[in-house]
Amino acid sequence: MFELLIVIALVLAAYAGYAHWQLGRMRARAAEISAELEKVQATQSQVIHTTKLASLGQMIAGVAHEMNTPIGFVKSNVEVVRDLVGEYRTLVEKCLQGFDMMLSADLTRPQTVEPLRRALTKVRDTLAGDSRLSDASELLTDSADGLTQIANLVRNLKGFARVDRDGMDLFDLNESVESALMIAAHQLRDRIEVKRDLGVIPKIRGVASQVNQVLLNLITNASQAMGDEGTLLVASRRSGDMVEVEITDTGAGIPDDVLPRIFDPFFTTKPVGEGTGLGLSIVHKIVQTHGGSIKVRTAPKKGSTFTVSFPLDHALLRQPA
Amino acid sequence: MSTSQIRVLCIDDEARILRALKALFRDMNVHTTTDPAEAIAWASQSDVDVVVCDQRMPKMQGIEVLREIKIAHPRAMRILLTGYADLNAVLGSVNDGEVFRYISKPWDNTELRETVQLAARIARDAPVLQDKVVDEFDRETARKQVGVLVIEDDPDTQQRMREILQPHYQVRFVTSPDRALTVLEQHETGVVISETAGQHGDFTALIKSLKQYHPHIATVVVTDRANAQVAIDLINEGQVFRLLLKPLRMGSCRLSVDAAVGRYWQLKQNPAAARRYFVAPRTDAQIPSWLAGNLLQRIRLLPQRLLGMARAV
Repeated sequence: MFELLIVIALVLAAYAGYAHWQLGRMRARAAEISAELEKVQATQSQVIHTTKLASLGQMIAGVAHEMNTPIGFVKSNVEVVRDLVGEYRTLVEKCLQGFDMMLSADLTRPQTVEPLRRALTKVRDTLAGDSRLSDASELLTDSADGLTQIANLVRNLKGFARVDRDGMDLFDLNESVESALMIAAHQLRDRIEVKRDLGVIPKIRGVASQVNQVLLNLITNASQAMGDEGTLLVASRRSGDMVEVEITDTGAGIPDDVLPRIFDPFFTTKPVGEGTGLGLSIVHKIVQTHGGSIKVRTAPKKGSTFTVSFPLDHALLRQPA
Repeated sequence: MSTSQIRVLCIDDEARILRALKALFRDMNVHTTTDPAEAIAWASQSDVDVVVCDQRMPKMQGIEVLREIKIAHPRAMRILLTGYADLNAVLGSVNDGEVFRYISKPWDNTELRETVQLAARIARDAPVLQDKVVDEFDRETARKQVGVLVIEDDPDTQQRMREILQPHYQVRFVTSPDRALTVLEQHETGVVISETAGQHGDFTALIKSLKQYHPHIATVVVTDRANAQVAIDLINEGQVFRLLLKPLRMGSCRLSVDAAVGRYWQLKQNPAAARRYFVAPRTDAQIPSWLAGNLLQRIRLLPQRLLGMARAV
């Protein structure tokens, strides 16, 4: 009996030892997992940051390209107008000299008056027929136009990045669409026709710079799916308690085996070095944190439609319709 | 030639750019259009001297317009004026458009006017090389006589070039600028094929100085460095004949080298046409120190007899 007790005690002790060892192992594992989790979280915020930088780079390149044309003619025009005005001034000075001579001449003597009159008429006609002032004025009209265009680009850029506000805000999704289209303009130009079907929609609450990033990402993907030509349709509408933006391309479509993985981090079909594979996973994450959802419909060789929905602001919902 | 005789054709999809150019060239005979098809017809009908063309336009890309004009009216000098520096446009403007200059928007007025005036003088004075293929007999002779020099210090690329070129051309391989000059001093060389950079430094500096003193040598630059600015400089300062991207494809490589040999062969018979590939003399600041002394001197003194012609410029 005693021996049996000893055996039991030994077994229990062994079990306790085992359990303790097991516990230690589990604790270590838990610590490992939590360290891993922290690492993943850090990586993820790093990744969001990196993606933000990449889209910032894309944005700057895009806007710089858009600005080159207006800056090109405005800069040229200003210099040309300066020259034209200088040349015109020389003509005017000649004319004034004529007047001065006329004023100081003895007008009672026909032999003085006649040549003076002829000379003055000639200068007057040259001045009257000269197009430099109207040319300069036309160039200045173009330049004013160009400066307005540049100002709009800068305003759009500020709107896109929202450097002045960082945090939850009420904003208009249609404005976000326009900003993103402007930023993407240089990759769409001469290749892709852009159609808009933007409805009257209430504002939503969220971090506008992140939502802009989502739209730019989807537009960039759509543009890359289309190759040499295609049509990009961007539509927005209210659907119940949600506001939707739909981005449709006429591109290659997404193959069935790829479709389930498109929102996975690091999944990409682009050649090494061209895509990070982070685009859509970031898009998904941002939409999720906004309480929204993202859906995709696709048909091979016909194209894809990505639909992003965001909930209406609660304050707006509480108001009677 | 007075400036009023210069006939310039400007093509851009942005009317405000065209009005700006018209005002800038107001002392010249300027025609502007947003329609590429009209431009191509106008170029030969009006016998224009210089074409200034935008790259990105909705109906037709600038390099396509310039390629068409090159065929329809080869006498005109072609200038690309663009706000975009994407590598494909740059490659196309060399390989298809064979442009005289690649100018970025926003441009410098004085520089653009001087470039157009220079181009117009060349278009009037320098004879045109017919774009037609050199006949078969000539081509064979050219391949046998004209040396092709490859400057390449990457063993894999060199091996690849050996496979592609050795069976067809008088080809010599070197790995450094110094060895390159030794070959140039000893053999008639019509084509120089080079990397943009190697362990010995920036090869483009060598290419550019070589073009300045010996514009009839056709240069083919091979690169895996997708840098648009380097390529633009190779056009404007080096009048590079072809730009090829790595990995090299047998077909396009053969075609380019054949065309380069043909170009040299034609220039050898018509040296005055080399003026069409004029580049401005390089300033001291543009010449790296490794090239500035002895090597540059050797480039300048390359014996004309080996180049098969009297100096054309």
